[in-house]
Amino acid sequence: MFFTLLISGLVIGSIYGLIALGYSMIYKSSGLLSFMQGDIMTLGAFLGITFYSYAGLPFPVALLLVVLISIALGFAIEKGVIRPLLNKNTMAIYIVLATIAVSYIVQNGSMLVWGTITLNFPSIFGISTIKVGNISFQPEALMCIVVGFFCMFLLQIFMNKTRIGTSMRAASMDAMAAESCGIDVSLSTGLSWGLSAGLAAIAGMLIGPIYGVYTTLGATIGRKGFSSAVIGGYGNMYGAIVGGILLGLVETFGTSYVSSTYRNLIAYVLLLIFLLLKPTGIFNEKAIRS
Amino acid sequence: MAAMLELKNFEYYYGNIHAVKGIDLYVNEGEMVTLIGANGAGKTTTLQTISGLTSPRGVRGEIWFDGKRIDKKKGNKITAMGLLHVLEGRHVFPQLTVEENLKMGSYLRRDGEGIKKDFQKVYDLFPRLLERKTQAAGTLSGGEQQMLAIGRAMMAAPKMIVLDEPSLGLAPIVVKGIFEAIKEINKRGTTILFVEQNSKIALATADRGYVMQTGEIVLTDSCANLAANEEVKKAYLGG
Repeated sequence: MFFTLLISGLVIGSIYGLIALGYSMIYKSSGLLSFMQGDIMTLGAFLGITFYSYAGLPFPVALLLVVLISIALGFAIEKGVIRPLLNKNTMAIYIVLATIAVSYIVQNGSMLVWGTITLNFPSIFGISTIKVGNISFQPEALMCIVVGFFCMFLLQIFMNKTRIGTSMRAASMDAMAAESCGIDVSLSTGLSWGLSAGLAAIAGMLIGPIYGVYTTLGATIGRKGFSSAVIGGYGNMYGAIVGGILLGLVETFGTSYVSSTYRNLIAYVLLLIFLLLKPTGIFNEKAIRS
Repeated sequence: MAAMLELKNFEYYYGNIHAVKGIDLYVNEGEMVTLIGANGAGKTTTLQTISGLTSPRGVRGEIWFDGKRIDKKKGNKITAMGLLHVLEGRHVFPQLTVEENLKMGSYLRRDGEGIKKDFQKVYDLFPRLLERKTQAAGTLSGGEQQMLAIGRAMMAAPKMIVLDEPSLGLAPIVVKGIFEAIKEINKRGTTILFVEQNSKIALATADRGYVMQTGEIVLTDSCANLAANEEVKKAYLGG
């Protein structure tokens, strides 16, 4: 029982972590909140089914394609919607509202293309369950955890060890100084939105085979990913990962040991507790105006 | 010989506010020139527009650098041409280490060997930065941050560096060290233009100077002559 719960906690936790990372990147690069994360995740899952199941591409190829398309989409949204608003000196809250509009367009657009019923993401591996001792689990669950963690690890390497990643962090810390170093800040911000969308799409393709794919898949998970980001310390990349995994575990174990009635309450009660008592989150990200 | 940097009848508008009202200014290759004046005279606007860091909508007149017109170019493109800007208030990347900050200075370069040599040059000029190589830049003292900001500009192997108020908020002894370093950088061949409110040290350091008042250049001469000028003495050197 414990290990089964641990696995499903880590599955949903790594998904929250991927989504939360996207929130953090957008907040750091633009100082904004994007409500699109969840719906881009849904779109990623639908695109995944399309490429993998309908077009018959191998799963890794489908995953790569979906990620690339989503990165391009995130980049295009930053350039086509966010940047023009920023250039007009629009207040942040209005830009956040624009992201809500885009999120509904993506969600309803998905509904038009793929319909309203839950689609079954065909299994990726030949076997339906893995048995270790008396614990059995879906191989897709293991894949979700492994690939999810690997992506988070890869992102850390990219942001901390590569020239482009470091320049993106620099641009998010001080745009003017970055510009004077020769960094293309506009490109860098677009890339942050692109990567955030890419992460969300990966999450969609990982969770699709486990939860099934439907138009509101990402709506709930997106909001919980947001809670994870706050719990970890909004804008902190390590915080996003830790917050996501923590929330996934607390939610799964809480549901099982306390009551499943509260499943969807846990994330938001926790969110409120953190906002009231520790808004800086686990990793002490700046939350109070000095 | 054409100047390395030249402003021709340069004006700047912030909406309806006429911040700079038509100035002419040039800096020859290898020169060290200062632009002095009181707060709000338009010095920072001038410097930031040279570097492409203000909105191009407000610009009138022409700015030429290294034989090309740059007044409509973006900041990162001007950096790529070899004109580096050390911002007022230092603007180091606070959560990046000293080393990462310097690396960002060499962002556009691909010559690994040259970059390595320039790291060495920066650390030779500012040994403090070597000691603090792995420290987050936000934890440095004001003087060390100024060294880092200058070192970061050096890492681009620039033809010219413009500096905005390098003495701002620093203790006199630290200011002295910073200006000695700027002089050394100039001596090694980098053309320099700097804006400074501390007119005394500015006129003691640079070759030539411009005096700016409410958006206009009111006086220009060699620094020695400016320092001896009665009006300059009264207005900027404390009698």
